[in-house]
Amino acid sequence: MDIPVARVPSGRVRDRTPHVDAAIAGPAGAYAVLLGAAISTVGISWDVEWHKDVGPDTFFTLPHLVLYSGSALAGIASLAMVLLSTSMQRAGRPVSPWMGGTPVRVFGGIFTAPLGYLVSGIGAASFLIYGLLDLVWHSIYGFDAVLSTPSHVALFLSISITMIGTVIVFAGAREQRWGRIGVVLAIPILMLFAPIPVNALNNFTLPVNPVVVGIVLFSPLLLLIGAGVLQRAGAAVAIAVTLGTLQAALWWFSPWAAKVYATSVGLPLRDGLIPSPPRLPGGAPMFLIVAAVAVEVLFWLSRTRGLDARKMMLLAGVLTGLIVGLTLPVQQSLTDPTSPLSSTDVVILGLLGMPLGALAGFLAARFTVMLHALAPVRKEL
Amino acid sequence: MSTRHRRLPIMCLRRIAVTALVTTTLTIGGAAPAMAYAPVNIVHTENVQAGPYGVTVGFSVWPIRAMQSLDFTFMPDGGIAGKSGTLIITGPGVQPDERSTPLVRHPRKPDAWGLDVQAFNAPGTYSFEFVINGPQGQGRGTLSDVTILNQPGPPLPLSWTIGLLPFIALVVFITVAWRRTKPGREPLTV
Repeated sequence: MDIPVARVPSGRVRDRTPHVDAAIAGPAGAYAVLLGAAISTVGISWDVEWHKDVGPDTFFTLPHLVLYSGSALAGIASLAMVLLSTSMQRAGRPVSPWMGGTPVRVFGGIFTAPLGYLVSGIGAASFLIYGLLDLVWHSIYGFDAVLSTPSHVALFLSISITMIGTVIVFAGAREQRWGRIGVVLAIPILMLFAPIPVNALNNFTLPVNPVVVGIVLFSPLLLLIGAGVLQRAGAAVAIAVTLGTLQAALWWFSPWAAKVYATSVGLPLRDGLIPSPPRLPGGAPMFLIVAAVAVEVLFWLSRTRGLDARKMMLLAGVLTGLIVGLTLPVQQSLTDPTSPLSSTDVVILGLLGMPLGALAGFLAARFTVMLHALAPVRKEL
Repeated sequence: MSTRHRRLPIMCLRRIAVTALVTTTLTIGGAAPAMAYAPVNIVHTENVQAGPYGVTVGFSVWPIRAMQSLDFTFMPDGGIAGKSGTLIITGPGVQPDERSTPLVRHPRKPDAWGLDVQAFNAPGTYSFEFVINGPQGQGRGTLSDVTILNQPGPPLPLSWTIGLLPFIALVVFITVAWRRTKPGREPLTV
């Protein structure tokens, strides 16, 4: 088959192969992957409430299908963007870093995969493969509705990897307005989801709930990475506000959807349900906004007074870890009528929050540099 | 490279994309109708006398194995209407906060009390004690010496090794990226 070509007046040959406008495909691909990550988050929150409030399980419940469709969408969008980048590279057109981060040669150069889409795509593929392992697990052990089985943890890790890819995609496009908005949306989604795989540690008898430790570590880590990547005043507050909005939306949606779905399939709610906050949104730190304001002040001092950004990041991590650690038990007692405020919990989590926050600050400084390296900002001439 | 040779891989890439899209759509679309819930299929029963109340304890799997989830039904003589009670389970795989639970209807067999997809993590000997309140007052009885055998399937370390492969891959990815970018030495601005 011949490729149609046109001879332009200058005598150069112009390729008439239909190609997608990168300015449209870039944000379209990124937001499709983000939508997949968001759908997965809605699906897991709904599924947890379904098991808590109603109970019965098969592989093909509606929340499971939502969960799977999120990863499927993210995977297809990632694949499409890898194929687009590959075709652009083969056509001799440059693949910009804001098309998903640094392009990486895969399978000896057969594919050119932007790093972000490579990570999100591998996460989605891993999710689908581990879905099969989950089927095998359930065929051996039955439909256990617990989070801490190997196949479930593998599924949660796979979704987390897709979400990390989403953050990389938008970090690579931070020069674009849509990229910055994407960071503000992608970071809170990962913040909601990242503690879930830590359920694996619930198989051990530990003095502190490991998922709570995960929340105290990941919240400052991701808040600082988001604010550090964006390098703008107001970024930390925007991320905290977005997290609060997602938390409120899931708080309402998850139990509501479980009840509506139960009614539609003719199942009753469990007897003797004790009112309690929905699990996934209930664990998100609702006082993160306080820490975000502290981060804004510290980063402002770094920008205006020239204070060492790494030290500010470390200090911001300690402060955020402390605030999240101290306020999580308060949040629990405010939202759960069966959980009175325990001063022991406040002290333990406050003490744990500082070293975990310091670790988060240390890592966030390095991960921010790594994400900045994906797409160096152009110097103004 | 000529445009003809360039075109062929692009066509191939498009085919891959379309195939992936169609496969995923068919998988999810085809799954939608399969949403019926399996009935509770009792394969073994035991009888317990809790004071004036006879209770038939039903198991959907027998013998029971550790980590294998199953349905339990608890049916007092004359049905559950007008009765309430508490179930106290003791055994090596029972956490302290899971020991005592109110007797509630089974979600898929609402005419009986029950536990749905319940698994016990450790093998050993378990007992199920019933405290039932009803028109004839309170009655108490125990089903003792319920043996839970070792877990089925592959050894747990193997399952966990496979399950943690995505975590190992993530750590390797971060390590490689860290070594290449040396983020500790590069300047940081916020």
